Amino acid sequence: MRPLRSPYNPIHIALGLVIWSLWFVALYGGLSVACRVAPPALSLGMWNWLNLLLGLFSVATVALLLGLARWSWRAASRAGKRSPERFAARLAATVHLVGAVATLVVAVPLLRLPPCV
Amino acid sequence: MSRDMPSPEAERLHERFNAVWGNPTGWRALTVVNHTTVGLRFLVTGALFFLFGGLLAMLLRTQLALPGRDFMGPDLYNQVFTMHGTVMMFLFAVPMMEGLAVYLIPKMIGARDLVFPRLSALGYFCYLFGGLILVASLFLDIAPKAGWFMYTPLSSAAHTPGPNSDFWLLGITFVEISAVSAGVELVVSILRTRTRGMTLDRMPLYAWYILVMAMMIVVGFPPLILGSILLELERAAGLPFFEVARGGDPLLWQHLFWLFGHPEVYIIFLPAAGIVSTLLPVFAQRPIVGYRWVVLGVLSTGFISFGLWVHHMFTVGIPQLAQAFFSAASMLVAIPTGVQIFAWLATLWLGRPVYHVPMLWLVGFLVIFVAGGLTGVMLALVPFDWQVHDTHFVVAHMHYVLVGGMFFPLMAGLYYWLPHFSGRMPSVRLGRWGFWLVFVGFNLTFLVMHWTGLLGMPRRIYTYPTGLGWDWPNLISSIGSFVMAIGIATVLLDIVLHFRFGLPAKENPWHADTLEWATSLPPTSYNFASLPEVRGRHPLWDDPGLPQSIAHGEHALAVIDHGRRETWGSDPLTGQTREIIHLPGNSWLPVIAAALIAGVCLSLLTRAYGLAALFALTSLGVLLRWSWENGAHPKAAPDAKTQPGDPPLHSRTCDGPGLWGMAVTLLADGALYLSLLFGWFYLWTVAPDWQVPERAGFDQRLLLASAVLLAVATFWQRRLLVRLRQGDARGLAGGLAGVAGLGLLHAVLLLWALLGGELAPRQTAHDAVIAVVLGYSLVHGLLAAVLSALQGWRVRCGYVGVETPYEPLVVEQLWYYNLGVLWIGYFALVLFPPTWGAA
Repeated sequence: MRPLRSPYNPIHIALGLVIWSLWFVALYGGLSVACRVAPPALSLGMWNWLNLLLGLFSVATVALLLGLARWSWRAASRAGKRSPERFAARLAATVHLVGAVATLVVAVPLLRLPPCV
Repeated sequence: MSRDMPSPEAERLHERFNAVWGNPTGWRALTVVNHTTVGLRFLVTGALFFLFGGLLAMLLRTQLALPGRDFMGPDLYNQVFTMHGTVMMFLFAVPMMEGLAVYLIPKMIGARDLVFPRLSALGYFCYLFGGLILVASLFLDIAPKAGWFMYTPLSSAAHTPGPNSDFWLLGITFVEISAVSAGVELVVSILRTRTRGMTLDRMPLYAWYILVMAMMIVVGFPPLILGSILLELERAAGLPFFEVARGGDPLLWQHLFWLFGHPEVYIIFLPAAGIVSTLLPVFAQRPIVGYRWVVLGVLSTGFISFGLWVHHMFTVGIPQLAQAFFSAASMLVAIPTGVQIFAWLATLWLGRPVYHVPMLWLVGFLVIFVAGGLTGVMLALVPFDWQVHDTHFVVAHMHYVLVGGMFFPLMAGLYYWLPHFSGRMPSVRLGRWGFWLVFVGFNLTFLVMHWTGLLGMPRRIYTYPTGLGWDWPNLISSIGSFVMAIGIATVLLDIVLHFRFGLPAKENPWHADTLEWATSLPPTSYNFASLPEVRGRHPLWDDPGLPQSIAHGEHALAVIDHGRRETWGSDPLTGQTREIIHLPGNSWLPVIAAALIAGVCLSLLTRAYGLAALFALTSLGVLLRWSWENGAHPKAAPDAKTQPGDPPLHSRTCDGPGLWGMAVTLLADGALYLSLLFGWFYLWTVAPDWQVPERAGFDQRLLLASAVLLAVATFWQRRLLVRLRQGDARGLAGGLAGVAGLGLLHAVLLLWALLGGELAPRQTAHDAVIAVVLGYSLVHGLLAAVLSALQGWRVRCGYVGVETPYEPLVVEQLWYYNLGVLWIGYFALVLFPPTWGAA
């Protein structure tokens, strides 16, 4: 079994969507807690500190996922053709990309809606 | 056997293997643990529950056929629709899919059995007994009647005072032992027991689907198990988790239920899609288009399906932005599903399809499931969902997705693998009649039901007045449902008759590519007399002579004189063989354990708590006895000799399947604990009348001392096991006994904290959650202490040592888990509240 840090460890195949899941929980949980503790004024619409914070968090998550996708893709190109390592690393790269796209799609409403209504 | 007569040499090999792997008959058939028998038992039992659930559906449609009917009163109607949904979801859909996977997976990946055969048998008996308990309630007129998702407060003691809801909560939790145990062993089997050369990218697609489904069960079922435990504690002991007046919140139940409930839809759908991805290439006579894209689609569907649960709660008053997150995720999940559908269409397009009966069901699936998926996208739109929420439109959508997405592929799979089960072919004529009757009947019933829903007919009403425009659509739906029932009866007739009149199946009758068709038809209990090396994704297309060469023992692990049941232990990525996994044989222990757990369940139902405790302790004793027969024990593998060139037995290494099994089990356990913490933080944030008592309730210093003690014990054990790995077992037995002693002390401190303070779990949800968090750690602490003490004893008996270091390493994971959980609990219960304004 390869070490966890190796891009060829099969655990990385699921990592992108695990990160997406954690981001999703933090997004929903963070929104709920913030709306309870310090809801932004309704008059601010979607341009308020909470949407901005959640938006920045989402952008950082997308950046992380894209960086991991690049890391996995480069590892795949180093692996032998038709090897299981290449398959695992390429699959991991695409799963990271799916995670990044899913993060962007779910975060889009931050640009349209106020948070606590 | 359906194939040509085997050679005398193969016959002799078969007899030797059968002496080790064979199934006993008579009463001793209850001891059988091999996956073929257990898988078939799951399938037959699931089919019987399906017939029962279908009969209930007929009763419902008879009642609703005409306005103002009094065929059933409201109370019975409530019981019948609740049981229909419950039986179909929990006793048919999930167990059927798991049963098929239990039957097929080892054969497809070139293994002789699942990795924990006794766990398979335990799972089956838990399913059977739990299902029977649940079904019995209907005959006693005390069945659950709050709907299959048991919303509180309707299901709470105040509104459903009898034992009705208890049957659901206890029965379903009992059945879920089966689901989770099957999930754990399917994950480990797929990752660790593939035959030599079956790399991850050569794995059959069905195995990918089942891997994802099993992981989803492991993570997705625990929230419901927790919810059921909490609701039963509320009903039986008065702990108010869901009662607003004492600080609880009924919406917490909805969150816990749908955290399970939405992934559940995909837990049912994904294995069905796996059947489609297995069958379509066979009948299209070409490899599937886009193998890697399909794998990507399966993984993405599995994960994203966990981000949709709130779309079942759009009408309960959640902020618009949060609704929009879930709405977006709900639409997003259609994309990976669409990728799979396009891969199937492309495979059909590029192949040379032949339309045997299984293909009819596959085409029916494509039509119905795509329609159901489209209404799913409609329902993901919040304003539309508000309009049709709780109407027959939702019922119609759900049946399109579940019947189209699960039942049709399942029927395709049953027709496809029927020759495998019986060695005989079904009738084409009856099969076609069965399909068309079901297809027409289904659409007549549920297509029209969309319209009934759009006309405003709510679900779950036992009758309706005439003049609302609902009369005709309801009558048509009822007629359609009976047409569908006739179709299912036709299929059943075909299946029954084929055992007697079906033509004997040829070897690999569909010209399939996967290894399950390399067994004899029907298969032996050991699947393969020798385990082949795989060099591509389509082993039987690459080498059609595999069935013969396997039966002649021309491949690996063909020696059976040692008397052990063996299969390969392989690397998860490369499929290189790393060890020989020796598997336990037939045993009474699983059925006894399941019967005792059934005793716990029945005692709790009758509120005989002393008896329940007695049953629980006895079943724990049986399970510990089960764990005793392991490794170097005389009933397991006392002799470690293997063939020259073969890897060692897994019990003589530091990395066997038990380690993986424990890790996956702890993942499920962790999901349950996280759900509990979610409940704690949720109530702090959202509960409308959250009450924090002024006194602390328990001595926080005791909790801290207990956590410190647990840390000391865990690191002491770690030191002992590091030395064991290095080949030094001096002082191991005494050390493990000492670790167990510290563990026991830690549990005593926890018990003191729980009982010695002023906790009032019946008065507030706040104290009730604290009691459960402490109780959770207490039970885990006791279990870890007992297991380590047992390991110390095994060291003294010579079953554990330098040559057999494996078992304490399995137990070690539980200690790390307990340590993490207790410190997280300390943070949540002691450090968090002051930050939220509590004293």
